[in-house]
Amino acid sequence: MTESLDRPLEQQITLLELVDRVLNKGVVLSGDIMLSVADVDLVYVGLRVLLASVGTLERLHEEP
Amino acid sequence: MSDPRAPLPGTAYYTYGVVPLDFSSAALDGAQGLGERPVEIVTGEKAAALTSVVSLDEFGEEPLRANLNDRDWLERAARAHEEVLERALADAPVIPFRLCTVYRGREQVLELLSERGATFAELLDRLRGTVELGVKAYLDRARFLEAAGAAPAPASPSGREYMLRRQRERTLDEEREQFKAECGRSSHERLAAVALAAQANPPQPPEVSGRTDEMLLNGAYLVEAAHGALADAVAELEQTYGPRGVSYELTGPWPPYNFVPRELAET
Repeated sequence: MTESLDRPLEQQITLLELVDRVLNKGVVLSGDIMLSVADVDLVYVGLRVLLASVGTLERLHEEP
Repeated sequence: MSDPRAPLPGTAYYTYGVVPLDFSSAALDGAQGLGERPVEIVTGEKAAALTSVVSLDEFGEEPLRANLNDRDWLERAARAHEEVLERALADAPVIPFRLCTVYRGREQVLELLSERGATFAELLDRLRGTVELGVKAYLDRARFLEAAGAAPAPASPSGREYMLRRQRERTLDEEREQFKAECGRSSHERLAAVALAAQANPPQPPEVSGRTDEMLLNGAYLVEAAHGALADAVAELEQTYGPRGVSYELTGPWPPYNFVPRELAET
């Protein structure tokens, strides 16, 4: 079990709420003065990684 | 001699968001941020940007693609991004940028501030003294059914009992969907009435919310920084809908992620 999975479920959900905001909301700028913009696909990939781990965690909690 | 304005080789400017010119740098004392160096305030004529010098090994386009797929990296970045904005929010209004907004160098951040300075300043004026709060509402199916008076299934139902039961279940499913829509709508209206601005986001399915209860409200509310009225409204809603199986979750204060435009016009 990795360190991040040791944390309580509550905190994981707060993280989900946070990631939902920082990736899906906020001002998005673009233009050639920018180095890189995480495009929408990347955002969904990132969010999926997180969701997958929350799902895993929930199952761990359900199995005594 | 190299151009002193040229970006440092191998680095870039991660930009968290924008604050007004009267922002006090002391608010950032102790903020870790991303990168090795302290958070740097880049000041333009009408607004200032909160930035960190970061390594291209981490934030270049290719490494970033890989890093966003790494759960632990994503968590660290999201928390650092939020921490800087939250500390700033304690002192002044902030315009939060999306995670991983990276400029080539300081000069390019200044260019952003000069191109959009008036828009930033106007938006910051409107946001002054406010915070964003999140309210989610969930329906506990078992409690809803209990409140609706659904009888437990008999051990060995007759054919007729079985048919009646199936019919009743279908009616209850419809009632539940109807109740969720109504409760979500009226909860949002009640909360929006005590907020300066309100945003109803689509309720998340259980696999996203990480809960088995069904989400019926996923709202964001812009309120005065002393936000007692919204918490009071949530408590009232709990009293009204709690007996039918609804629970509310209040989060924040957040930087106003839901109340800044997705895209900003040049000014």
